[in-house]
Amino acid sequence: MFRIDRRLFANFDWVLLLLLLLICGMAYFSLYSATYPPKPWGMPLYLKQCYLLLIGFAGFLFLISFDYQELLSWNYPMYGLIIILLIVAFYMGKSAGGAQRWINLGFMKLQPSEPAKLMLVITLASYYTRNEVIDGYSLKDIGIPILLTIVPFVLIMLQPDLGAALMLGVSFVSMTVFVKLRLSTYGILSGMAAIVGAFGWIRVLKPYQKQRIETFFNPETDPMGHGYQILQSKIAVGSGEMFGKGYMKGTQGHLHFLPERHTDFAFSVWGEEWGFAGSVFFLAIYFFMLLWGLNVAISARDRFGMLLAYGIVMLIFWQAVINLMMILGFLPVVGIPLPLFSYGGSSLLTTLFGMGILMNVRMRRFQTSSAKE
Amino acid sequence: MAKKIFKEIDEIQERDDDALDILKRRLVVVAVIVMIFTSLIIARLWYLQVNRGGDYKELAFNNRVRIRQVAAPRGHVVDRNGKEIVTNRPSFNVVLIREDSHDIDDVLKRLAGVLHVDISELWKRIREATGTPLYIPVVLKEDITWDTLAYLENHNQEFSGIRIEVVPVRVFHYGDLASHIIGYLGIINKKELSEADPEKYTGEDLIGKMGLEKLRENDLRGKKGSSSTEVNARGFEQKLLKSDEPISGKEIRLTLDVDLQQIAEGMMDQEEKSGAVVAMEVKTGRVLVAASAPKIHLDDFTGGISTENWNALLENQKHPLLNKVVQGIYPPGSTYKMVTVLAGLATGAITESTVFNCPGHYQFGNRVYMCWKHTGHGAVDLRRAITESCDVYFYQVGQRVGVDGLAEYAHKLGLGEKTGVEMEHEKKGLVPTRQWKLKQYKQKWQDGETLSIAIGQGFDLVTPMQVALMTATVANGGKVFLPQLVDSVRDTDGGIVDQFHPKLIRELPGVGRYLSLIREGLTGVVNGEHGTAKNARIEGLTVAGKTGTAQVVKLAQYKGLKDENIPYKYRDHAWFTCFAPAEDPEIAVTVLVEHGLHGGTGAAPIAKAILQKYFEARLQAFAKEKEEKKVKAVPGIRP
Repeated sequence: MFRIDRRLFANFDWVLLLLLLLICGMAYFSLYSATYPPKPWGMPLYLKQCYLLLIGFAGFLFLISFDYQELLSWNYPMYGLIIILLIVAFYMGKSAGGAQRWINLGFMKLQPSEPAKLMLVITLASYYTRNEVIDGYSLKDIGIPILLTIVPFVLIMLQPDLGAALMLGVSFVSMTVFVKLRLSTYGILSGMAAIVGAFGWIRVLKPYQKQRIETFFNPETDPMGHGYQILQSKIAVGSGEMFGKGYMKGTQGHLHFLPERHTDFAFSVWGEEWGFAGSVFFLAIYFFMLLWGLNVAISARDRFGMLLAYGIVMLIFWQAVINLMMILGFLPVVGIPLPLFSYGGSSLLTTLFGMGILMNVRMRRFQTSSAKE
Repeated sequence: MAKKIFKEIDEIQERDDDALDILKRRLVVVAVIVMIFTSLIIARLWYLQVNRGGDYKELAFNNRVRIRQVAAPRGHVVDRNGKEIVTNRPSFNVVLIREDSHDIDDVLKRLAGVLHVDISELWKRIREATGTPLYIPVVLKEDITWDTLAYLENHNQEFSGIRIEVVPVRVFHYGDLASHIIGYLGIINKKELSEADPEKYTGEDLIGKMGLEKLRENDLRGKKGSSSTEVNARGFEQKLLKSDEPISGKEIRLTLDVDLQQIAEGMMDQEEKSGAVVAMEVKTGRVLVAASAPKIHLDDFTGGISTENWNALLENQKHPLLNKVVQGIYPPGSTYKMVTVLAGLATGAITESTVFNCPGHYQFGNRVYMCWKHTGHGAVDLRRAITESCDVYFYQVGQRVGVDGLAEYAHKLGLGEKTGVEMEHEKKGLVPTRQWKLKQYKQKWQDGETLSIAIGQGFDLVTPMQVALMTATVANGGKVFLPQLVDSVRDTDGGIVDQFHPKLIRELPGVGRYLSLIREGLTGVVNGEHGTAKNARIEGLTVAGKTGTAQVVKLAQYKGLKDENIPYKYRDHAWFTCFAPAEDPEIAVTVLVEHGLHGGTGAAPIAKAILQKYFEARLQAFAKEKEEKKVKAVPGIRP
């Protein structure tokens, strides 16, 4: 399992690593500014981020050390583990008296909803590899994938974490549409989605979640609440103008006008301090990495590798798009981070692990299946 | 066999490769989707940061920088000797900056407890400010106590968005002294704001609404300062970026004398009189006293008067809102006889030796005009006519001069036109002429009406200020000065910015002799055996003056009644106007008491009190001298 031969090393994707390191570097740089001055108690966040990056890259190295095909046999036990963690978090949260999304591990607070996103991608990739249908899946064929998605989805909705739950749905849709459905299946699914959506709006969404969505469509109704957050975010980004206010000189962030300025709204700080030029520079690298990831998928040696790579890229892509659109005032505040850039241990580790798997697929693109060896 | 198996494997391989190729093509589509979203986000960034970057920059600036105006202390008002009449003190106001408050409900709840006011009161203030920008402070409570101030300052973390503003407010050191003259401030209204310089005034500023506060707004206002501070999202100030100190308004030094003004107002108030008192330096036109009674209560007007108070003022039959010094118009009564005499002498209608017989009445046409003394004065010359105020004498002078001749000299003495004193809404009164009547009533002038005019009844209307000015002109030998209320305008460090010198409006040539005859007569009014104003007599000071009675109605039903039985509003107005010392006049004093009945009793004592105060030193010296004479005389008597 831990065999690393020379060929693997030769196929290591330095471009992908470089892009990843650049993004993590910029994120780290911006985090320092966003959290300055550090809180007078506890470990400063930039230091914590250091440890998280070390753990993340250790995991990254571990995940490239074995053939990703192994994941096919490991995915259900891991899936089960994540479900257990979600249940634990749910009950721990309940006993703590209110919404709690994490399990305290001492050195960090694990949000199981984050690894659940990656786990769902791996699980669906496994399922669609094992159950290949070329002419398009029927409703019956995707019954199990739906079930695999619904279980963590419901558990996360109960926390409640609308953003993370939404991402599970997005992952499911992007994976399932990619492997192709029958035309009739689309019709039935979208009908069902409409019913579930209506039911969800009436019965499941918490008032504050509804308010966020309502506020987005009618920002004046709540100038101090989420409309305020989006407005402050737009002011931050917009006031950066062409070249920004300079590192550590953003007033919106440093004077606390920006909400969640190191987590969900981290990119607002970047936009304010580095302007349009800096934002485009960052986004160019970020989306180039995603395109590179798609290239990994295209060059994958088999269906599983391709689905894994595709799913991981889409997971990062949709989170980034939703986060950026929220920051730029296109979408309501939904609590989805910008992967690798927003501060948050669980999200960072999950994304780095995902990148590890992506690298794994990349490195083993020329290998024929181990059975042939 | 093996070949078949290999073939099968190859087929499977081929089929897998085909399936993979389909997915690869889809991946290309996905890449295109990624690029579309990337472009969309970059386009949005271009819009926010480049197209509208300037707007957002301004918003970010407004977010963090709070430019606050610092009110300039308003200029002081002092009397001629520098005694402070109006100054300022700091008032601590509790204000709410709405955009800084994150939980207004909770903050107001606690604040209401601290301020001991009902929370609905606070909400009302906030509602009234609806529509103004959220960073503009809303005043929740004015003038809090030191204790409250200390509490709020110590607990400011608990009151997000609440701040204390220090605003200078007016302090009136002599209560409502000269309230009509000084006036009051109020919050600038929409009309005033639209006419004002937007650089100088903003929505909640105070502006002079009446009196000198209004007329001298530009001097008193000063220049507002401003401070730019950086604040964080919770409204806490981080650092001072820029600060311009306010510049205090200039000091207005009045010509008024607080002591004299107090005497005048005190005596009017004491007997709840309604009317006006004016005292003026005859050689300069400087106004020493300008009192209108009843006074208004200035504190009622600070920060806007309540409807109740306002209606009460409007309904009060003594018309407190009127500045009677220049806005009250009354028939001049016998004070007008100065005009008649001057006109008679100057036109040659009479000479100083002209004698008329007074049988107590005068027949003109088919009407009989009565003298106030029904038994008659007998043969009356000029001096006696003035001293005893013989109406019959003046009927005949008036008849000889004619209405237009009287009017000419009335105008020369300053009647019928605004005196130009620095007070609002001055009335010019009325001096009738033939032409005026034709125009006003489309009627020919009746010669009988001239007789009424000659003794100051009928159409004639004058203000107390005009009578004072006329008296001063008679006293100073024919110089009409502009009555002045402001002596100088000074910087806060005492430097004189603007000094007002006596301003001669006109001089009456060739009337010196006539005026000295009038002065002689007026001296007799006070000091003569039959004078009508013996109440104004002062030992050691020769006072010259004239009483007057201005008829309010001519109703026969009140004619025979005793004074106290006539309803207040039908009682005659009482005039007394005088100057002193008669030999070399320095000061003229005019008193009008509305419905005061008789000048000699109703008005003269007030003038006398003012003169006594004004000449205090001289009178004390006189009394001392007299005392010494007595002491000297005593040993002589003893054997």
